[in-house]
Amino acid sequence: MAFISSGYNPDKPMEGRISDIGPRHYTDFLPPVIAKNYGKWAYHEILEPGVLMHKAESGDEVYTVRVGSTRLITVGLIQEICDIADKHCGGHVRWTTRNNIEFMVDSKAKVAPLKADLAARKFAGGSAKFPIGGTGASVPNIVHTQGWVHCHTPATDASGPVKVIMDELFHEFQTMELPAPLRLALACCLNMCGACHCSDLAVVGIHRKPPQIDHEVLENICEIPLAVSACPTAAIRPSKTEFEGKEKKTVAIKEDRCMFCGNCYTMCAALPLADSEGDGCAIMVGGKVSNRISNPKFSKVVVAYVPNEPPRWPTLVKTVRQIVDAYKKGANKYERLGDWAERIGWERFFDVTGLQFTKHLIDDFRDPAYYTWRQTTNFKW
Amino acid sequence: MAKHQTPMLDELTKGPWPSFVDDIKAEAARRAANKDGVEYQIPVDVCDDLLGILELAYKDKETHWKHGGIVGVFGYGGGVIGRYCDVPQQFPGVAHFHTVRLNQPGGKFYTTEYLRDIMKIWDMRGSGLTNMHGSTGDIVLLGTFTEQLEEIFYEMTHKLNTDLGGSGSNLRTPAECMGMSRCEYACYDTMALCYALTNEYQDELHRPAFPYKFKFKFDGCPNGCVAALARSDLSFVGTWKGAIKVDQKAVAAYVAGELKPNAGAHAGRDWGKFDIMKEVVNLCPTQCMSYDGKTLSINDKECYRCMHCINTMPVALKVGDEKGLCMLAGAKAPILDGAQMSSLLVPFLPVEEPFDEIKEVVENIWEWWMEEGKNRERLGETLKRLGFGKILEVTGITPDARHVQHPRENPYIFWSAEEVGGWDRDIKEYRKRHAR
Amino acid sequence: MALDMATAQKTILDFLEGKAKSKTKFYFNDFCDLFPDEKSRDVKKVLTELVKGEKIVYWSSGSTTMYGLKGLGKHADGEE
Repeated sequence: MAFISSGYNPDKPMEGRISDIGPRHYTDFLPPVIAKNYGKWAYHEILEPGVLMHKAESGDEVYTVRVGSTRLITVGLIQEICDIADKHCGGHVRWTTRNNIEFMVDSKAKVAPLKADLAARKFAGGSAKFPIGGTGASVPNIVHTQGWVHCHTPATDASGPVKVIMDELFHEFQTMELPAPLRLALACCLNMCGACHCSDLAVVGIHRKPPQIDHEVLENICEIPLAVSACPTAAIRPSKTEFEGKEKKTVAIKEDRCMFCGNCYTMCAALPLADSEGDGCAIMVGGKVSNRISNPKFSKVVVAYVPNEPPRWPTLVKTVRQIVDAYKKGANKYERLGDWAERIGWERFFDVTGLQFTKHLIDDFRDPAYYTWRQTTNFKW
Repeated sequence: MAKHQTPMLDELTKGPWPSFVDDIKAEAARRAANKDGVEYQIPVDVCDDLLGILELAYKDKETHWKHGGIVGVFGYGGGVIGRYCDVPQQFPGVAHFHTVRLNQPGGKFYTTEYLRDIMKIWDMRGSGLTNMHGSTGDIVLLGTFTEQLEEIFYEMTHKLNTDLGGSGSNLRTPAECMGMSRCEYACYDTMALCYALTNEYQDELHRPAFPYKFKFKFDGCPNGCVAALARSDLSFVGTWKGAIKVDQKAVAAYVAGELKPNAGAHAGRDWGKFDIMKEVVNLCPTQCMSYDGKTLSINDKECYRCMHCINTMPVALKVGDEKGLCMLAGAKAPILDGAQMSSLLVPFLPVEEPFDEIKEVVENIWEWWMEEGKNRERLGETLKRLGFGKILEVTGITPDARHVQHPRENPYIFWSAEEVGGWDRDIKEYRKRHAR
Repeated sequence: MALDMATAQKTILDFLEGKAKSKTKFYFNDFCDLFPDEKSRDVKKVLTELVKGEKIVYWSSGSTTMYGLKGLGKHADGEE
């Protein structure tokens, strides 16, 4: 494994340096039919789940086959995607905001062979490489974070829970039977790198125990003022302790103030937060971003805690299924999950989903909490 | 024969949804076989070790990663996230596992040539694992060693004319919906505006000097497919003024069942015959529509452009001709004081190159926030702390009833001295009228 | 008031050296406080020059960024 230089000279880092060039211009990459009809599209149709037809004012048509994909994806699989795009799509492909891949062709005749090719490709264990779906009133792909694959403060994995939830909701991905789109998100801790706070259904990893303090090494590997200032709730202060007969500089944590964000661990590896027993997931529902019919709204926590049960998180999956089924059954056409819950009332939501309401679902975090309590006698039995 | 046994992860090769475990296993095998004779610059078995450490996390139910403070390449304060594993002896292939964020092309359109070129560099100098894409929008190259970072940057800039994305307290990589490239709803050219602002603000993107992260997102219409309203400090959402354009013949075709409502989005279930009253007119949140059996009428002055009727009958209804965008400010995830969505700041701006009006608003906000924002305070939090009036003041925008959901519910107004004719008075004059 | 680049650089380096025993990483705002009469954009230019001159380096938590003297700071062996 001999080191191969790119041409970069570490002794003269500024020599021949190219910087501040930004991304490549998108016009380098547009398929011809897209470039030609840019800004001149007339309307679209979803021909079947996962297949879209966009009609241009010129009469041109572009057919899009949308497939689900794992966000975590390898060079080998991307090369395979390129092979498919070369074979069917003139060497063009795109991704959606929700980690779907879109293969576009410029005539209807090219759709069937493309679909057949995509559907035939399977992983070794039998799962689909490129499942077609995710359009219209379906469960489109989940947006998510890194989890145990790469993050240092996750309270759960991301790729694994996404896999098992999408296995469960595969039918809903491949069909359009729901009242409206049901957008899912998963964030592996409450920093929410995914947009969980405005999703129809979101899984959020939560820690429930404050960080441990590794007094033995803390002063050697951390700057105490930085660990102290990292805490958003000012729960950490400098301190001293005796460790094996020696006085050590360290920190003290006011544990009941901890909100489990992991910022301190980011700054100081001697304050680990992960805990197999404490960690798990909360489930939030009813958020949306679209302005359609009702205003955008935040998701609400309806399950305070589900334990981590790798590898397949059965309790989490079962709970998600319960919510999806109740929504599917009860909501009107075009009604997003949050609009449905508001129409029937959240007290009824807990009835029809069979979820248990607990004290942890009553907000007690800072000022906005008051606005979530009920200041009326209008409620249902 | 796999390097590490992964009985738990193997459970995730089952089921119909694409298995990331099978994908990574295949990648491990591909690297081991090395058919193309690649001179791998980081351990060949990095994917095996990634599966090994992930299996361990599944067993322990705890992560095995630590943060590293490394930020990027020389002269840049962002674009790389430092990561180390806490069991390097066991899994040396992932001892370092830094990520590199590349600024994705607009609309996430690729040619296979470009994509293969990126993959070729990453195959040789990284783990072979990526995220397509990160939450913010970047191409995320997942996992490499420190000594490869400059090499990767050099090759990406010199060979592929491609720069890094953002991380830390800077402008994060802006992202947009595909807009006019393939969507009839787009009210402005999201890709053009996103590209222009990304390039205009390269210094802000690469050299952090903000109190905290700052995000731009561009949605072409109020449907909000990139969730600008929920996720960006400045949200640019397409909108229009004036009448929705109606094709009455096409309306009749929807009523007659010749066209599928909502472009066929509900075709998987029998919802009964399309009922324009129930499904469009009565669902209109402003009740500004009527249908007399022949003609669909819209009282456009009362419409607030939620998109429902247009989404439901896309062949018949089109967004109005006078197009532009709304700017909203201050969205963020819940940490620390609760989630915020962006609040309406500029109700309407036309979107015309070189976008000077938009840039002026952006720069005024930055100048103010850089002075007033506390460390690790998002724009939305600064707004909450100092009041919405402040951002109107620094951007020179006239207060308007559109800025609020409703007027304030208390009269505790901080009047300025100028507004009340000054505060200095003569107590003696007062005493002439009032005894002590 | 125009900022003199050389003087400003020295002010920053003196500040960092003075604090080095207790703390090695600082927010951008901490440097703005050293130059109360200057626009933050001008302070940024000084910091950028110091980075280019290999005197100071960035440090990032991923979400936020800090600045410090090159070669200082505590971390586990083999990391940076």
